[in-house]
Amino acid sequence: MILVNKETKVIVQGATGKMGAAHTKRMIDYGTKVVAGVTPGKGGETIHGVPVYDTVAEAVRATGADCSVSFVPPYLALDGGCEAIEAGVGLVCVITEGIPPNDTAKLVAEAKRKGTQLVGPNCPGIISPGASLIGILPGNIFKPGKIGMISRSGTLTYEIALALSENGQGQSTCVGIGGDPVKGMGNLELLSMFNDDPGTELIVLIGEIGGTAEEEAAAYIKKNIRKPVVAYIAGQTAPPGKRMGHAGAVIEGGKGTAESKMKAFKEVGIEVAVTPIEVVELVNKASKQLVSK
Amino acid sequence: MNLYEYEAKEIFADYGITIPPGVRITKPEQLAAIHFGYPLTLKCQVLTGGRGKAGGIKFGKDLKDAQALAKDLLQLSIKGIKTDSLLVEPKVAIAKELYLAVTLDRSRGCPIFIASAEGGVEIESSGKVVTMPIPYPFHPYVARELAKQLGLSKKVLNKVADIATKLYQCYDEMDLDLAEINPLVITEGDDVLALDGKIIVNDDSIDRHPEFQGWEKDHLAGLSDREARAKMLGLNLVELDGNIGILCNGAGLTMATMDMVKYFGGEPANFLDVGGGSDKDKTLFALDIVNENPDVKVILLNILGGITACDEVAGALIEFIKQNPHRQMVVRLRGNNQDKAAQMLAESGLKLIPDLETAVKEAVAKSKSNASTKEVAKV
Repeated sequence: MILVNKETKVIVQGATGKMGAAHTKRMIDYGTKVVAGVTPGKGGETIHGVPVYDTVAEAVRATGADCSVSFVPPYLALDGGCEAIEAGVGLVCVITEGIPPNDTAKLVAEAKRKGTQLVGPNCPGIISPGASLIGILPGNIFKPGKIGMISRSGTLTYEIALALSENGQGQSTCVGIGGDPVKGMGNLELLSMFNDDPGTELIVLIGEIGGTAEEEAAAYIKKNIRKPVVAYIAGQTAPPGKRMGHAGAVIEGGKGTAESKMKAFKEVGIEVAVTPIEVVELVNKASKQLVSK
Repeated sequence: MNLYEYEAKEIFADYGITIPPGVRITKPEQLAAIHFGYPLTLKCQVLTGGRGKAGGIKFGKDLKDAQALAKDLLQLSIKGIKTDSLLVEPKVAIAKELYLAVTLDRSRGCPIFIASAEGGVEIESSGKVVTMPIPYPFHPYVARELAKQLGLSKKVLNKVADIATKLYQCYDEMDLDLAEINPLVITEGDDVLALDGKIIVNDDSIDRHPEFQGWEKDHLAGLSDREARAKMLGLNLVELDGNIGILCNGAGLTMATMDMVKYFGGEPANFLDVGGGSDKDKTLFALDIVNENPDVKVILLNILGGITACDEVAGALIEFIKQNPHRQMVVRLRGNNQDKAAQMLAESGLKLIPDLETAVKEAVAKSKSNASTKEVAKV
């Protein structure tokens, strides 16, 4: 597994809000070590048995937390993200959707400067099944196993993970990198981490229209990745020039089509599923080849 | 949100970027009160590109000529979008045209300057485009470096660098997706001014800008009536030419469902992400707006409720079916409280299909059948 494990100590920023509170409970129920909540002005309270602090720095000092998951509202998310980075947590995962991209670009710059791992924003979070759940993913869908997943989409990840789990193909870690045009960790960093992770045998990469991240991933895989990769791209029927739900899912000036991405993968010998269900077939096929090796 | 040229220029002017004097008119008669002298430039204000090529910019040599041109231009539609008004400016004596823009570079994850020493019509075809990442925090030396790379010197270098700095400040403070000046002109007297301006305001940022409140409804060009109404309610609807109405939760899953419909031989009528789905009213509105499309033969609802409770979605569905008993529906619901939802739906004559592929095939079959839509769907 990568990024998060049983030992990961998690702070929830915005833990007392409606969404933050609900998911704090879900994370605790899953077995995640949630050590603190942070809501300015609510220091001293508790949420689902977890102490709440006014600042991230204070929470980190008191608990030794190494990860923060943020439910902070969009226009405060840059501030909250910078606070977590400055407080020294190594991993910041931003769930919040609708953050102005200029704020995200600044947050990404701050994370780079400090060497902080940033996941998201506009993402469902990270799960290492059976060990730790960070964010809003439905834990019951995921099963422990050897597939590493990287995805730009939340519910599509659940759909594919569900199909994999039901077919006995568990996951080492699933990372929702988010649907925004600018984000923290991308395909390349995560591919590299999965490649080095002894618990991961096979990587599933779920992309969608918009940008060139999948084309870049294809070139990177060819050069650097030893493990089999199965890809799926959503938006094969999306019309150009229209934003498809995610801020980053748009074909602009003829760039970012599903066709271009699928072609890029196929050209370097990566299997590309046409439907989410076909991902399972391709994973089964790749697993058999691994065994026969 | 795309802004009109005249709005973009007013914002640029607020940031100290020089623009030509201009008056916006909606009737040819208003030209008589304008005293810039002739020739005059008349420019269609329309929320789309390709205006020059479509004949949306004309030069009037005297009042009579300008009024005749204005009459035609005010009736001009460009790419199906009506002209809102005309911007009238004196014709500028141009020595050189540049291109200058600030936008977000998704690969680099930061804003960039895009500039060219050959401004004018089509930046895409120019071979001399300079792109420069804008570091955070920003310092004006980046803009000077940009001006240098454009081959500028002396007074003009400083003036262009100054405008680039102001354009970035405008982009940053106003939360824009794009701030573009094309052309940025150098006049025969070495003045530098924004002859045209384009601004796209970032949609997620509008709520923190009081100056843009209430603007959205007047800037929805390019959307169908239903798409515009959905947008005003915070739903992302994209209409297509097919006959299978699609509602899902999550953008990726919605796209994947569209793709599967097409893969199994059907034609999607729309993309509609209903989001979390726990909001019953929003789900009901989403169902209604898809239902309104006369091309839709069958609605495929695909909800994978990780967190979303299926019974809440079922509640909205039952209400919809009560109001629209003849609508053909295929419902795929999976997740929390799925059994409860199945029971609720059974009473309304709707079967719940847990498997996505089965549901998609079912919807495709229904979209092709000649069965009367008056028959309540029973699958």
